[in-house]
Amino acid sequence: MSTLQTIKDLLEASLTPSPTVIILGLAFCLVAPILLHFLYSTATPYTTLPSVLLLGPPGAGKTALTTLLERGSSSDTLDGPVAKTHTSQVPSSIELSVNSDDPSTSYKTNLDNESATAKKFLLVDTPGHPKLRASSLMRLNAAEPTIKSSLVSDGGAKSKIKAVVFMVDAAALADGDALPSTAEYLYDVLLTLQKRFHSRGGSRAPASMPVLVAANKLDLFTALPAALVKSNLEAELGRIRAARSKGLLDSGIGQDDVDAGEEGDWLGGDGSEKFSFAQMMEFDVDVDVIGGSVIGDGPGAEKWWKWIGERV
Amino acid sequence: MLDTFEILTTSGVVLWSRTYASVSPTVVNNFITDVFIEEKSSVAGAKNGASAAENPPYKHDQHTLRWTFEKELGIIFVAVYRSLLHISWIDKLVDNIRALFVGLYRDELTKPNTTIVECLTFDQYFDQQLRELEQAGGKSDARAFKNEVLSEDTGDEPPSPPNLTRSQQAQRGASPGSSPNVSRPGTPSTNHLLVAKAGPVAKMSRRARKMQNTNSAPASSSDEGPARKAKAKPVKRGRKWDADGLADEDDGVQLDYSVPTLTSDSEVEAGARPGAVEEVDASTWGSQAKGKFVLKDLGDEVHSILADADAKKSAATKTDAPSGLVGSGLSAIGGLFRNVVGGKVLTKQDLEKAMKGMEEHLLKKNVAREAAVRLCEGVEKELVGVKTGSFESINARIQKAMEVSLTKMLTPTSSLDLLREIDAITSPSATSLRKARPYVMSIVGVNGVGKSTNLSKICFFLLQNKYKVLIAAGDTFRSGAVEQLAVHVRNLKELTAREGGQVELYQKGYGKDAATVAKDAVAYAAQEGFDVVLIDTAGRRHNDQRLMSSLEKFAKFAQPDKILMVGEALVGTDSVAQARNFNAAFGSGRSLDGFIISKCDTVGDMVGTLVSIVHATNVPVLFVGVGQHYSDLRNFSVKWAVEKLLSSA
Repeated sequence: MSTLQTIKDLLEASLTPSPTVIILGLAFCLVAPILLHFLYSTATPYTTLPSVLLLGPPGAGKTALTTLLERGSSSDTLDGPVAKTHTSQVPSSIELSVNSDDPSTSYKTNLDNESATAKKFLLVDTPGHPKLRASSLMRLNAAEPTIKSSLVSDGGAKSKIKAVVFMVDAAALADGDALPSTAEYLYDVLLTLQKRFHSRGGSRAPASMPVLVAANKLDLFTALPAALVKSNLEAELGRIRAARSKGLLDSGIGQDDVDAGEEGDWLGGDGSEKFSFAQMMEFDVDVDVIGGSVIGDGPGAEKWWKWIGERV
Repeated sequence: MLDTFEILTTSGVVLWSRTYASVSPTVVNNFITDVFIEEKSSVAGAKNGASAAENPPYKHDQHTLRWTFEKELGIIFVAVYRSLLHISWIDKLVDNIRALFVGLYRDELTKPNTTIVECLTFDQYFDQQLRELEQAGGKSDARAFKNEVLSEDTGDEPPSPPNLTRSQQAQRGASPGSSPNVSRPGTPSTNHLLVAKAGPVAKMSRRARKMQNTNSAPASSSDEGPARKAKAKPVKRGRKWDADGLADEDDGVQLDYSVPTLTSDSEVEAGARPGAVEEVDASTWGSQAKGKFVLKDLGDEVHSILADADAKKSAATKTDAPSGLVGSGLSAIGGLFRNVVGGKVLTKQDLEKAMKGMEEHLLKKNVAREAAVRLCEGVEKELVGVKTGSFESINARIQKAMEVSLTKMLTPTSSLDLLREIDAITSPSATSLRKARPYVMSIVGVNGVGKSTNLSKICFFLLQNKYKVLIAAGDTFRSGAVEQLAVHVRNLKELTAREGGQVELYQKGYGKDAATVAKDAVAYAAQEGFDVVLIDTAGRRHNDQRLMSSLEKFAKFAQPDKILMVGEALVGTDSVAQARNFNAAFGSGRSLDGFIISKCDTVGDMVGTLVSIVHATNVPVLFVGVGQHYSDLRNFSVKWAVEKLLSSA
């Protein structure tokens, strides 16, 4: 009974137009939004880190590179800095930092100990399995801030992609089967970037997107050198381009908009006989091919790291 | 025994592993691809939290994998062993390790933007668990191994010193990151190992082997009378200590660091036995009294963690009921608010209604119920426990998740570039040793779905690309079938004569065996230098065993490079059975290579058949027929199909 009474009293008091109630109410109205703002702005990081997207067919060494770069500074681990890896199913991202004064410093140096200013970025490792590529490409497409993809949920749309590293297995490219599938994925990636260039809306052109084709596993005897990887990939991309132009149309494209469909699918410069990575410059896509190796006694990953450091 | 045990994340990083016999990484990779990515229908999809016993074992190339999956943290626990062996306690081990690992490292696992989990200390937990289960479950076979271990140990050659320091370094946990392949000396499990194979463990340091030697004793004391062995073993151990341990005091100290559990084991044993044992190593044992407590603590800790996990599980099943009227009222209001604003953690109840709606929607799109239920279950599993984004409703989240899983389901695993494949067969590169031969394609399907029509559409497409095509009339049953093809060929000839394509009909009339006709046609094409052979077949009902059985012979005789099945977009639930039966009809070594979905122009948005057949067979859709003309054949675009399926008009 008494509790009911007190509640009643409180209600009455709060509804009587007394100065305390008014002041309290006003204060609440003014302060609450500010408090809420601070609550949310601290909960979510205000600035998003630039990110580097790591793409490539399965088994190329994407996750291995990720772990190498992450663990590189503490190289006293037992089996070397690279963790054992298996097929990935979900993308993962790690936070790395480069020395912004001198991007050529090794990934092994611990930036915490040095006075140099460090620049942080995210390295996003993606699964390479064909069934899971769609989301990676979607992420690439969403790199443009104006386009908000419905598929990217976890902040992918917000994060600004600065560069793309496309890993290939140089040893597998030597024999026939891996080359077409690798090139097909690369074709899709480059085509996405090209379309992204075309789809720029209004005055804001998307920033140029550098692409690094990282020829991995050069520590193996059978691996092709970077120059050969480049020429093989270019030849294969040209073949895919020719095959696609001859192939059937995709479903969903009616007879009326045949022209629109053809326009978008031709990779590189119009009418060129052979495809070369240099043609992609036209679309602000700068492609470099650099060899290296994640494990073993090969050239290591220093060159890739330098490339990433310069682009970030 | 166990070959390897791995704890890995869904992003592909192995957090912790223990290898007893090296297993090719392709075993685990194939397991991940088949079970988690492609979700082959033979192995059920990943259930969160299901114990290893409920998950069907995955078999691959002499190995059996038992596994369990912690969805919330994205961690997979896999145990690999030889299929020949029957290990009864393996389920229990996987489950217990999962409970332990999650209990111990939950905080580290939820850290964003890192793949490093420091779990070097997990070694001892694993050993404890393995020992316990082995003792409980494998008493009988453990005994058989033991004597062999003893005899083999003495015969082994001396080890290389680096091994010792390496393993010790690992023990101290001086470095972060997981350290695979650490064969930790002194684990009881390695006892069996030595017998089973000669891998890295065989090269283990003498010290380590000695440890095993001593360590096998407690196990033995539990199940067989110690009297017999007690005599032989202390002597053996004593000799070894003399040779090495006593000579170098530093080593003794290091040993103390590296193998606390083990020494304590020996101590327990030593305490139980009088005489020689204490006499020989009195000094070393004394300094290692600490080891005993470590063991005890570890065991207790492990049990308490396991008990905790069990309690949590039972609590989770029990306390699902809403607590009190006020509580439910408040949470209902909060839930409504969150539903609008977002940031709500989804539960099964929240999803139930919306998932029903989604299922209805899919059924309306002509997706077979079986496929719709599977899709919805997959999405529900994926979404339970997920937080919605800001200003995102449950329905929007479900829509998004469904889009992703439809895309994943319909996307083919390998490239489907037909022209490229034909080129590879008809003009093989100089380096490969294959001879050029015609590319053989055959088309099967139920009556009246449009086999001949789609065959001629494909033919038209090939002719435009300047191939020389032979059409084989394999339908020797229905009257008019050969004439129908003849008309198509005549039309195609006229249409493409200018463009340089060449097409011919190969026919043997009616009543002949279709398989023989196909075989002859291929031989003829090879002789005459055709690039592609397209074989038409008679339509057959998929549940007529007599007609379907002839397909196996057909596949054997004609050896087609590609077998395509034509399915109607009009057909409903029956599409699942059609696809399954045809897929199984070519014998064990052969299956369908792709589908052509005809009559897509007649169904509008209701393209659910696509989903049904892919769900049933995991075979990709190659082409889509969208009209009556020769040119109305389209490559299948996943994006187009997903858009149509999810459009709510």
